[in-house]
Amino acid sequence: MRDEGISEIRRQDMAADRKRRFFMNSDDQLILEFQRGEREAFVELFERYREPIYGFFRRRLEHPARAEELAQECFLAVLQNVQRYEPRASFRSYLYGIAIHLVAAERRKAGREVAENEKLDGRAAQGNAAENRDAGIWVRKALGHLEESEREILMLREYEQLSYGEIAAVLRMPVNTVRSRLFRARAALKNQLLPVK
Amino acid sequence: MERNAQHAFDAEEVMAYLDGELEARRAAELAAHLVSCSECQEVAQGFRALSERMLSFEVEHPSAGMNEKVVTALESDKSANEAGTSRALNHRVWNWRHVFARPRNWAIACAAAAVVAILAIGIPNRRQPGSLPLNGRNFTDIVKLERQQNATSSTYKSSLSKDDNGSAEPEPAPPPADEELKPPESVGPMIVQTASLTILATNYDEASAAIEKLAAAHGGYVEKLDAKAQTGNARELTASLRIPTKQLDGFLADVRKLGHVEEETRSNEEVSDQYVDLQARLRSARATEQRLIELLGTRTGKLQDVLEAERELARVRGEIESMQGQSTLLVHRVNYATVQVDLNEEYRQVLGSGVISTGTKIRNAAVEGFRNLQDGAVGLLVFLFAVGPSLLFWLAILLIPGWFAWKRFRARARV
Repeated sequence: MRDEGISEIRRQDMAADRKRRFFMNSDDQLILEFQRGEREAFVELFERYREPIYGFFRRRLEHPARAEELAQECFLAVLQNVQRYEPRASFRSYLYGIAIHLVAAERRKAGREVAENEKLDGRAAQGNAAENRDAGIWVRKALGHLEESEREILMLREYEQLSYGEIAAVLRMPVNTVRSRLFRARAALKNQLLPVK
Repeated sequence: MERNAQHAFDAEEVMAYLDGELEARRAAELAAHLVSCSECQEVAQGFRALSERMLSFEVEHPSAGMNEKVVTALESDKSANEAGTSRALNHRVWNWRHVFARPRNWAIACAAAAVVAILAIGIPNRRQPGSLPLNGRNFTDIVKLERQQNATSSTYKSSLSKDDNGSAEPEPAPPPADEELKPPESVGPMIVQTASLTILATNYDEASAAIEKLAAAHGGYVEKLDAKAQTGNARELTASLRIPTKQLDGFLADVRKLGHVEEETRSNEEVSDQYVDLQARLRSARATEQRLIELLGTRTGKLQDVLEAERELARVRGEIESMQGQSTLLVHRVNYATVQVDLNEEYRQVLGSGVISTGTKIRNAAVEGFRNLQDGAVGLLVFLFAVGPSLLFWLAILLIPGWFAWKRFRARARV
């Protein structure tokens, strides 16, 4: 128990030390430092994106455990391919690009086309009573009615907070297309979610 | 909300502004507009409300177990690195797909391959003086070849010396005096001059006769002459002349007197570079020829090598002759300017019915009408013969059953 306490203190010290060293570094600087061999830079990136990446998968997949597995795979992919990394776009675009590919592969593996409304409705049905009363259920239902690319763009913008350029890089489409589809998605969602005055 | 004359911004722009994606100048304008426009404020408020509403789609935090796999992988990578056998490093070394997926690597590879190819082809093909081993086996044949060579060489040398004096003439036009073909002694700018004039002749007959005389008077000649005299149109003459450069101004002044100058252009083209380059290549070719002649004169080497040297010598001589011709032509173009003269007659309309009489026109029309009738009939027959058989065949297939069916229907109807 004493050893566990010491390990915990050491972990906290290391985390504090890492924060001091890297708090001014951007994500792109951190990945390049990791590429040069600075392991703590990767740990900092992992800490920064652990929850956002998990949230990305959790909002798109049915099972929390599977979302965690894919989130881990996403970071492992970054770790294993760090020497191949090139700073053509932002690190966020790179990371979410990997995540998008993992989600697509997961859906193909599930053996059917993306029917997010089914999955989202399924999640709503399988959730507990408290979850069903959650205001988010209406958002999930409304998102399920959107066209796939519009839904993805909207979610990347609202939840992952990617810029139009980053979304365009992740989804490999022009920025103007991202903007117009985002507008259409928001207009459609607004009609469903917000009361008409 | 649409953009119109009263409203400078549409809803999509308001959305982009709220997302921080609008261009700075436009964003500043929209920010100022939002202060006073209730419609845009409502749109912006709608987007903000939607974003807030969407945040209600919350997810739980990941479990602590999510870190384990990643940390384990990071630790194992660190250990492998310390042992000098990093998985990432090995991955990079053996992943050739990554190497050749990059266009830059392809460009470097192609450039390296091109350099190697140039070196591989260029180095062995360089010939040094005296490098041909000519160990003759059949000395008699070699001697015969040598004699032929000497005869050819001497003939060629004499022809070369003649060419140096400028008597060879590649052009079809009548040769001018020899001294005109000498290249300039100093390598100053060599200019090829051209001029063209369009003249409305005061007296067309006199002017057209005067052109040739003027050219001859100034030491030039007519290269090409083209005269037209179509019925109902003014006469025109187009002449292409070669005039010595020194006489050009005087010639042009005389030609202008033939009538009213409607258009005149002059241009100069410097060809010094071409001439100098040509001379340099000539010198080089002649030096190569001389070396080949000396080489063949050593009388040692295989017969095959001798024949090869002979072929090379013939090729080089062909090049020399070609370059000689080009050089001569260039010098001639510099020494003789090209002048194009378009001489037009002032047109006077003739009162009259024309060359063809009315009766002839009517007869021609009748003949043409009969021919059209004949062609039409023949065309129809050709069509019928070409299409008829297949048409009859398909009609038979379709109509005969139809006829029987019609008969049966009629019979039933009577009953």
